[in-house]
Amino acid sequence: MKFTGAILGAVMTAAAVAAPAAAQDAQQALAQTSVIETIKQRGVMRVGMATFVPWAMRDKNGALIGFEIDVANKLAADMEVTVEFVPTAWDGIIPALLAGKFDVIIGGMSITPARNLTVNFTAPYANSSLGVMAHVGMEGKAWPEDYNQPGVTFVCRRGATPCAYIAERFPKAALRQFDDQGQTLQEVLNGSAQVLVDSQPLPSFTIYDNPGVVFAPTGEKINPGNEAFAVRKGDPDALNFFDNWILVNRASGWLEQRHAYWFGGRPWADLVSN
Amino acid sequence: MYPDPDRPRRFGALDAALIAVAVVAGAYVWFRVADVLAYRWDWGFLPGTLIRSDPDGGWRPNLLLEGLLTTIRLSLWAMVLGGALGLLLGVMASSARLLPKMTATAYVGLIRNMPPLVFVFVFYFFLSAQIIPALGVDAALRALSPAGAALVGALLGPPALAENLLSGVLCLALLEAAYICEIVRAGIGSVPDAQREAARSLGLSGFQTFRLVTAPQALRAVTPPMANQFIMLVKNSAIVSLISVQELTFIATEVAVSTGRRFETWIVVAALYFALCYSLSRLFARLERRMRLTDRR
Repeated sequence: MKFTGAILGAVMTAAAVAAPAAAQDAQQALAQTSVIETIKQRGVMRVGMATFVPWAMRDKNGALIGFEIDVANKLAADMEVTVEFVPTAWDGIIPALLAGKFDVIIGGMSITPARNLTVNFTAPYANSSLGVMAHVGMEGKAWPEDYNQPGVTFVCRRGATPCAYIAERFPKAALRQFDDQGQTLQEVLNGSAQVLVDSQPLPSFTIYDNPGVVFAPTGEKINPGNEAFAVRKGDPDALNFFDNWILVNRASGWLEQRHAYWFGGRPWADLVSN
Repeated sequence: MYPDPDRPRRFGALDAALIAVAVVAGAYVWFRVADVLAYRWDWGFLPGTLIRSDPDGGWRPNLLLEGLLTTIRLSLWAMVLGGALGLLLGVMASSARLLPKMTATAYVGLIRNMPPLVFVFVFYFFLSAQIIPALGVDAALRALSPAGAALVGALLGPPALAENLLSGVLCLALLEAAYICEIVRAGIGSVPDAQREAARSLGLSGFQTFRLVTAPQALRAVTPPMANQFIMLVKNSAIVSLISVQELTFIATEVAVSTGRRFETWIVVAALYFALCYSLSRLFARLERRMRLTDRR
């Protein structure tokens, strides 16, 4: 009995000593496999993004410019690493992140529960709402009830958040999805489709450029979104670092100031085309 | 009853009528497009997307030309790799042994009965995500000396994107290999059995028969379809834009979205593809003619 007790005691002591050690090991392993650690070792942060005016686009010299390009550049500078952009087709951007093609998505991606099941999101670094642009053929019709009719065609960028919004709010209308921004815009400008729902400021800019062809049926702010960085799951260090980077830069007003520059108007139009 | 075949060909009334119909149809389409399309044409941005002036002086290729160069690199490497693999598979498929024959047939069956698009996705996200990091390409590229970086730059484009290009090359090469295998198999099959039998009866070994008798004749038979396949490959390379390889089609999407000049961009891209493929087909036609001339001598 005494002997068994001694053994039991020894085992329990060993367990008591070993348990925190195991926990510590797990913590260290977690910290070392964090993408933050990988970025620092490599000296390069690889950022996945897709071309989307004015979040990210090509200037006249072929270089990337835009709101999230500024964000990623400052983030990299603060981490003292260089940044490498990986332009990626929007359709495959989440699978590409999971496959390790880059470290983080900074691509104006709005947080949705469905996406959140596959990737982790940071705190939002921008809040942009959706805007609506309609072909003049729709003028005189009431938003939103006259738009929820058969014969009205909506367009959106495949896999983007407006698609879900349109399907839910305008079930009777037809919805057509395209791969890139250019195609969705042209369909409405041509009048082949009647309504485009997309992140601001694109609808506003297009309406401004094409008066008499398209107009804004409503001024309401639709579905204010939360755009955040996306990282692979199981990486608390990366989430904490990015969250707090966003917190600091929001508090200092830097994010707001850059957002105002890119979204407030088009002082940058000359950079993009002649 | 039939026109005299020796009569010199002349421009007739029928030709004039056909050309007139084509012109009218073209004009009708043009006016319809101008009518339906709410679009302001502006070609002014175009030269800027092809070349740009370098701050250090001189001119550099800009986005679209870079994309074209990437397409050329991509097609070239895919053809080299796919050609080698396809040749091997083709020889295996022509073998009398069951195992190599079945292996090659199974590969060709698998690839040819799958949409290339689906194959590209599956390959990129499942296979290349495992293979490429395991090869350590990324680390090797980053550790390059400046001279090495320049070499890689010339062969594979910007080192930062080389890993991605490599995925694209592998993907296209695997697709092409299946089609090239069939071409090679047909080429080998076109050599009459009598040739092989004669070679064997002269005491040549199996390998000698292949190297000295079968292969030279098969090579002549496969050159035209191979050239055709290469041109197809150049056009098919556009599908790897899906996996974000920065080739002409992918870059064109970016340019079209950034500048808002959608139709101009795509028309230019179509013209670039056409110029590339047409010059290739002229080149191959010349090579073929030269080969025929040397044969006759």
